[in-house]
Amino acid sequence: MRRRAAVASILASAGVILAGVQVGAAVTAARTPTATGTGSGSSNGGSTSGTGTSSGTSSGSTGSTGSTGAAKDGTFNGTTVQTPFGPMQVAAVISGGKLTDVKVLQRTNQGGRSIQISNQADPMLRNEVLQAQSANVSTIGGATYTSEGYLQSLQAALDQAGFAG
Amino acid sequence: MHATFETMGTVVSLEWSGDEQALDAVRGIFEDADHRFSLYRPDSELRQVADGSLELLDASSELREVYATALGWRGETGGAFTPHRPDGAVDLNGIVKAWAMAEAGRALGDGDWCLNVGGDVLVSGQAASGAPWVVGIVDPADRTTLLTAVPLVGGRRAAATSGSAERGDHIWTRGREGAEFVQVTVVADDIVKADVFATATVSGGTITLDDVTGRFNIDVLTVDGEGSLRVTPRMRALIAHSVEQAAVAR
Repeated sequence: MRRRAAVASILASAGVILAGVQVGAAVTAARTPTATGTGSGSSNGGSTSGTGTSSGTSSGSTGSTGSTGAAKDGTFNGTTVQTPFGPMQVAAVISGGKLTDVKVLQRTNQGGRSIQISNQADPMLRNEVLQAQSANVSTIGGATYTSEGYLQSLQAALDQAGFAG
Repeated sequence: MHATFETMGTVVSLEWSGDEQALDAVRGIFEDADHRFSLYRPDSELRQVADGSLELLDASSELREVYATALGWRGETGGAFTPHRPDGAVDLNGIVKAWAMAEAGRALGDGDWCLNVGGDVLVSGQAASGAPWVVGIVDPADRTTLLTAVPLVGGRRAAATSGSAERGDHIWTRGREGAEFVQVTVVADDIVKADVFATATVSGGTITLDDVTGRFNIDVLTVDGEGSLRVTPRMRALIAHSVEQAAVAR
């Protein structure tokens, strides 16, 4: 259930990302689990289809995909949304029950030509990242600290916890 | 296993599933790199090159290899990353740490490990829980808090962060008005690449950011002087994942 919720959140957030540029009923494809997955051979069939596709933005984050059986390995495509760069879609890859990749998919336009999805960095609101503060992290990344700076760093605290454990 | 040790003016934190021998190998790689490349050691090879007492052509193959690698990245970043100080002296500080991390990574092999050197991260395999390694990113405005967390998945093993605030002397910004970004994190498949692009983006600002994200398969998170964030699409999805994980954990 937690896993499904996480997957749903990724996919829903992919919709949120692009909601700002989405005008009207521009959703062009439903969430469609594909069989391009991870070699385990089990993709999720159509069990998650229909989630949140009408709004593309607001649903899915609370596990609304959970009405069918356990989440399985595979590649789960998010809703396609319209952007200035063409239709855009994000996929979550689940293998062994774990998130193993997030892919920004390329789409083709109506003429069938491939559209290069922009990798441009765009603004992200602080309140979209805040909850991660309590995430269970393995290590701390940050601008280079000196040996002295290390003593006051979160990494030092984490290392202490590592020794204690 | 978990160990920390000091080298190159910073601290290495290593979590790994191997033996003490692996730790010794990693330690040796960083000590060798420090002896060869530190500009603070009067006896280092690079100091001799910087002083002019040793010709670059007479330097060790290791030093020339790192210098050549750095020159290659200078070309790739349009000069935003450079192995030269403004006075022209060779300064490999911007690449040596990442280069040594890559060497250490090769020594550690394909097992499960997480190497953190002064806030730059290179991983292999997965954490003890079986989940992906997750890198917490420090908030440059308050280093006692995390800005967010990013799982390293999909072959992206490296996360490098450069800043204009701390140890700012090792990045030479091109604009006269200082850096646009106070902190830049780059996630990539390679630690040298991640480190170079993080440094270059702090140095070159928005122009470099748009250029390198357009040409290279990397994920970027930037923080500007007002604390505003910018992210590439995949970075946004990865952050959304960790936000969700944190919410579920509560």
